[in-house]
Amino acid sequence: MAAAKGADGPVDVIIVGSGAAGGMAAHVLTKAGVRCLILEAGRDYDPQAEVNMFAPESDAPLRGTGTPDKPFGYFDATVDGGWQVEGEPYTMTEGSDFRWYRPRMLGGRTNHWGRHVPRFGAYDFKPFSRDGLGADWPIGYDDVAPFYDRVERMIGVNGGKLGLENHPDSPPGCLMPPPKPRVPEMLITAAAESLGIPVRAAHTAVLTRDMPDKVAPRSACFNATPCTRGCTIGAMFQTTTSLLPMAKATGRLRVVTDAMVSRVVMGARGRAAGVEYVDRKTGQRHQVKARAVVLAAGTGETARLLLNSGEAGRGLANSSGELGRNLTDSTGASFRAFIPGLAGRPRYNEDGIGGQHIYIPFWQYEQQKRGELDFARGYHFEIGGRFGVPAEAALPRVWGKDLKQAVRNASGATIGLTLRGEMIPNKDTFCEIDPNVKDKFGIPVLRFAFRWSKHEINQVAHGRRAAHSVFKRLNGTILDPDLPPEQIMTAGGEIIHELGTARMGADPKSSVVDSYGQTWDVDNVVLMDGATFASGPHKNPTLTILALALRASERLATRLSSGALA
Amino acid sequence: MTFTRRTTLQWLATATALSLANRGVAAAAAPQATGAPPPFKVVGWPASIAPMPAAPGYGRDPDLTAPKVPWPLTLTKAQRATVDMLGDMILPADAASPGAGTLGVGAFIDEWISAPYPQQQDDRGKIIAGLTWLDAQSRVLHGGAFTAATAAQRATLLDALTVETPSAAMAQPVAFMDRLRNLFVLGFYSLPEGKADMGYIGDQPTEGPYPGPTPEAQAHFAALLTTLKLPPLPSPSQA
Repeated sequence: MAAAKGADGPVDVIIVGSGAAGGMAAHVLTKAGVRCLILEAGRDYDPQAEVNMFAPESDAPLRGTGTPDKPFGYFDATVDGGWQVEGEPYTMTEGSDFRWYRPRMLGGRTNHWGRHVPRFGAYDFKPFSRDGLGADWPIGYDDVAPFYDRVERMIGVNGGKLGLENHPDSPPGCLMPPPKPRVPEMLITAAAESLGIPVRAAHTAVLTRDMPDKVAPRSACFNATPCTRGCTIGAMFQTTTSLLPMAKATGRLRVVTDAMVSRVVMGARGRAAGVEYVDRKTGQRHQVKARAVVLAAGTGETARLLLNSGEAGRGLANSSGELGRNLTDSTGASFRAFIPGLAGRPRYNEDGIGGQHIYIPFWQYEQQKRGELDFARGYHFEIGGRFGVPAEAALPRVWGKDLKQAVRNASGATIGLTLRGEMIPNKDTFCEIDPNVKDKFGIPVLRFAFRWSKHEINQVAHGRRAAHSVFKRLNGTILDPDLPPEQIMTAGGEIIHELGTARMGADPKSSVVDSYGQTWDVDNVVLMDGATFASGPHKNPTLTILALALRASERLATRLSSGALA
Repeated sequence: MTFTRRTTLQWLATATALSLANRGVAAAAAPQATGAPPPFKVVGWPASIAPMPAAPGYGRDPDLTAPKVPWPLTLTKAQRATVDMLGDMILPADAASPGAGTLGVGAFIDEWISAPYPQQQDDRGKIIAGLTWLDAQSRVLHGGAFTAATAAQRATLLDALTVETPSAAMAQPVAFMDRLRNLFVLGFYSLPEGKADMGYIGDQPTEGPYPGPTPEAQAHFAALLTTLKLPPLPSPSQA
């Protein structure tokens, strides 16, 4: 194979992707003395030079409002990617609605993410054992807990005690102190708790204390600026201000950006020899070799890469036939109300650490176990409501001085509960290679099929009743349209929690990888992203991606040093 | 590092900043077209609006440190004058802040309806048609364009355009005004003058732990719990 320009010199491990999983792999492997090459499909990105933390939205076109070019707002950190990528389409089966968010930048989605990092609990790893649906993971909470402990300390997580069924607490020393709640959050706490709905400090990947480091020192949040723009002081965790610079400082990491990996190239003895990639700027194809290949390209791209490798029509590492199947996303729905008691309330600074300070964890495990609910898996609510421009729906149809007064009155008087719920894998939801469509590099594209089941629809209906009960307890005016749950749910992929397309398992016949992400069929191809998830609990996945990537990377380092992959 | 002020469009969403839903401005619920007709004969809604010439967007990878609007503004002088006048009526000057037209929010309306994106082009159709309708209605009633009518005549028209339940003939004109009014709210209250009017406090980096609600805000909260017959929280700082 020819050495690629900018990628010369021998490497031990090729890592495809530089987001949460790729960043963790690079950090752990280089620290262990392993020479790594990251191939990132997107462009190079330097938050220090590019993030505009402080400009008012009024400096931006359209007051910063999201557009198809910048879906989450003008100043949002995602650059050169999004719901659509120029010349890189994906397709859908008839009747499917699936959104695929693809950042094309160093650091991937960690530059713009939700930062809500709950741990999965014991039930979440054994869902099949609990309700007979989906599949169990080959590992349990106790296997992952030590890695959660370490990841929380590595990335910096603030939060408080939970003390609830299936919501594990962190041991002492893992978490930084959580911020104080804001008034709307305190009010939701009072109302929800009076209805038996628990409210707790959220676990959030934002520093509330400084995190010194020789290479990548990070500062405590200064309680201002929107996190999704990126954070030049490093308070929010993103690989571009933490794991990647730390890995580079070892001298054992090289990064090639604009490198769109097209396939895994096989060598002798059933092992991968390396990968082939396309230089996005020149269109040139290159091949690079290594002793092992880590796939951390994101659930969809990792599945696509394997499906486009190996045997035509079957893909690589797919003897189980499960590759591309078991795709899930989180359910999503938003509820809001105008609370008269909050109208005209005393002003103070509610910026805080950016997102929610508290949240509502799922609380109905006992009812679910007893069969009293018409859906099998849980959800949580993320909490919103701040001072600022009131929602249109919270303003009366008036003009003149009445409108000005109405805005003053309604500012800070709207609260919101945003649902995120678990989806159970179903046979109608998967991705596969579209035999008829290629991207501008000639790489066959993914075709998605997506369907919610009754479990997800009933779950959203239950969530709406719960949210509205809280609003009513506060004498709130509900601002939500009265529509069937199917019509208030987000589309598949829209929550950007896609998982499961190369799930782990105990049995090679029904899973693609083992609990360390190693593919059953090719022992030097290791998956470290959300593709390996055996289920997609409602708890936001990034902390678990990081914990499993840490676990898998240490295992890979051990195998490399023991000569197992010589 | 120099700290400048910033605003956040997260305000618009009111839901959590964690929500990754599109932060575009949601369309207001359509009014039910079953209300009483206005005190005048309603002229017809313009049949069609000429499409805007192709214009460039800012692309997927604009320079975030030097934001600029790459598309040309498209309102005519007369249309812009009407928009400015409407701005000073919808959000008029008072002791707290200037009028929206005087403050220049009309330029934001022009920027919005001239943007080459689907939502903005949809709004363009509504607003250009609405401005055309407004002049036609004004001519029938008062023999001149909207800007030439008296303050009382203009107020009567704006009243008819700002009703909860319009008549069938007024459904589209009222939807036009809904959109324009909400764009003025967005454009006005995202400016420093609008934020000051709302008493907004924020955009200020504060070192150390987040201070949380002030004693005054705590007192209001405690009183609200009493009103709602809710038990106090274990401690003010505890969630």
